[in-house]
Amino acid sequence: MLDPLALAVALPLLGALLVTMLPGWSRTLGMLTALATTGVALWLTVTVWSGEGLRSDLGGWGVPLGIGLRADGLAAALVAMANLVALAISINATGYFGAAESSRKFWPLWLLLWTALNGLFLAADLFNLYVMLELLGLSAAALGALTGTREAAEANLRYLLVGLLGSMTYLLGVALLYTAYGVLDLELVAEALTPGPVAWSALALMIGGLLLKSALFPLHFWLPPAHANAPAPVSAALSALVVKAAVYLVLRLWLDLFDGIATLPAAMLLGLLGAGAVLWGSWRALRAERLKLLAAYSTVAQIGYLFLFLPLLTAAPDGDTRERLLTALVLLALTHGFAKAGFFLAAGLVQKSTGHDRIRELGGAAQSLPAATFTIGLAGVALIGLPPSGTFFAKWVLVGQAIALGQWWWALVAMAGTLLAAAYVFRVLARAFNREPTPKCFLTDPRTEIPALLLAALSALAVGLAAQPIAVLLGAGV
Amino acid sequence: MSSSNPQALLIPLLLAAIGALLFWAFWSGLTGHEGERLAALALERVPESGASNPVTSVLLNFRAYDTLLELAVLLAALLGIWSLGPAAAPYQRASLLLDSLVGWVVPMLIIAGGYLLWIGGQAPGGAFQAGALLGAAGVTLALSGRPNAGLPGEAWLRVLAALGTLVFALIGLTLMGVGLGFLTYPPALAKALILTIETGATLSIGATLAAAFLGGRPRAKRNAEP
Repeated sequence: MLDPLALAVALPLLGALLVTMLPGWSRTLGMLTALATTGVALWLTVTVWSGEGLRSDLGGWGVPLGIGLRADGLAAALVAMANLVALAISINATGYFGAAESSRKFWPLWLLLWTALNGLFLAADLFNLYVMLELLGLSAAALGALTGTREAAEANLRYLLVGLLGSMTYLLGVALLYTAYGVLDLELVAEALTPGPVAWSALALMIGGLLLKSALFPLHFWLPPAHANAPAPVSAALSALVVKAAVYLVLRLWLDLFDGIATLPAAMLLGLLGAGAVLWGSWRALRAERLKLLAAYSTVAQIGYLFLFLPLLTAAPDGDTRERLLTALVLLALTHGFAKAGFFLAAGLVQKSTGHDRIRELGGAAQSLPAATFTIGLAGVALIGLPPSGTFFAKWVLVGQAIALGQWWWALVAMAGTLLAAAYVFRVLARAFNREPTPKCFLTDPRTEIPALLLAALSALAVGLAAQPIAVLLGAGV
Repeated sequence: MSSSNPQALLIPLLLAAIGALLFWAFWSGLTGHEGERLAALALERVPESGASNPVTSVLLNFRAYDTLLELAVLLAALLGIWSLGPAAAPYQRASLLLDSLVGWVVPMLIIAGGYLLWIGGQAPGGAFQAGALLGAAGVTLALSGRPNAGLPGEAWLRVLAALGTLVFALIGLTLMGVGLGFLTYPPALAKALILTIETGATLSIGATLAAAFLGGRPRAKRNAEP
């Protein structure tokens, strides 16, 4: 009679309460909670995997009176990723904070954040989602300020206020829907929803509020300082999980609630902002002076990719194409979750052992911290999207479907973003292997270099894409 | 800012336009849709909930899960405040007149809080209102110069702040353990369980609000005494 849905929320909450009451035991109790919660999350995922969608009515009242929790494949996939990443962050935190005073501050807030993450992924009620967003935003901002520096406090106060604005806007949308339809359960509202001023305003308010929370360009201004100034385990959680939760909610609302209300032009607008995020985030990551700032801007870019899928999903006919796009989107989100968390934890180690994280002065890091450098390299493979990472498959589908659905411009954005990602990852790795600084001028002898460059570019970028015309050519004149 | 500045005119105009748009949506929402609404359904089933006050039925039974997490939000806020640094130095001790007034007001606030907690089952009242009064009692004590707003030392304050959520969560888990489902009260016990949860929540809300007013981690007793 144990209910994995309720346990996935109640266990981390119970752990948070215990470590609040017994701060001296916070590491032991915290790790036990982390292990138990991850166990429940995996159990939940396996259950959904074996074909049963999970649903439970808390309080036994059933909808519409009570609150439901449910797990479909999308929720289960994100729960599994979030809990595995959170477990890794917990283990890292036992070393990072040690038994110091900051460890006592970290654990209760961290377990509350974990509660909110699981609660948000599993929620099936629009108002309950708001409560989860508040718990998530509050605990995330408090955790981000744990370093106690002035910059961290300032960045996280801004994060808190932006988050509040986002969740208030979301709440306003929920209030409109409740006024019109008198129910809060996501499925019931979706059934009742008809196009009209209420649906459009609610769409704009709820999605708009969540875009602020998911730091979609140009609303990303709060993210880089907040993520770059937090302690490393917290940065990992903020970048890999907290932002992802807001994106998950956008997707959930877009696909389940506003299906049929959200039009293609609206999706195009979000795709356009996503494209802006990919290009601007990657560019700023390339120009970042500090490792953690680079990782934070890279998050802005990676969030952008997720939004590139929306116009394709909206344009795709139901069925196979849509499912493939959704799979690719989830694959990208999961890969980024693992990769960015790993990147931030490794960056934290670099910062701790060298005393700084300035990329310019990373020389020789590979010799002194081989595992951390290798981690950054591996995470870099995933961020760029080299095969066989999940990002590679996701971008493969993205580019293919963009062309198939006649929205080829997203393919260009994805490719440009990939090149920029390769540049910022290799910039870090080159420093770590103690290379000399790169020369100021890109070209040294234009006349010899440009032809070579063009040939390489042709081989890397053009020939593959021209497979179709080449096939036509081969078929001609036979 | 001078009124000739175009921004000074544009921003109110834009806000008014958004407001009008939202009001239009709200109005068409109010008038547009027919069908069964949640409020009517909730009123109908209040007698089964173990509390005759509909607000309490919704908060502590129908949507108890939301309330459980709202208590967690309060705790997160307090922990966030504590993580930023120690509390400011206590206020100067009040003069005799104010001090004796506080001596009257604080017990009254505590009694009124207890009353609101008890009456919440049948009439407007309940844990949040009662906790707010207890919090106000703490604020009054802090303003009149009592260090730590009459709250216990940090170890016990932590227990007090987490107690309400802990009682709530443990009841929920126990009910799941005995096979009823998370936070599913058996009708015969509903009233007693709701009262237990509300008592714990009142204490925690009161302590949390008073501790939040101090604006930082409680100082050790010895340093705080004047």
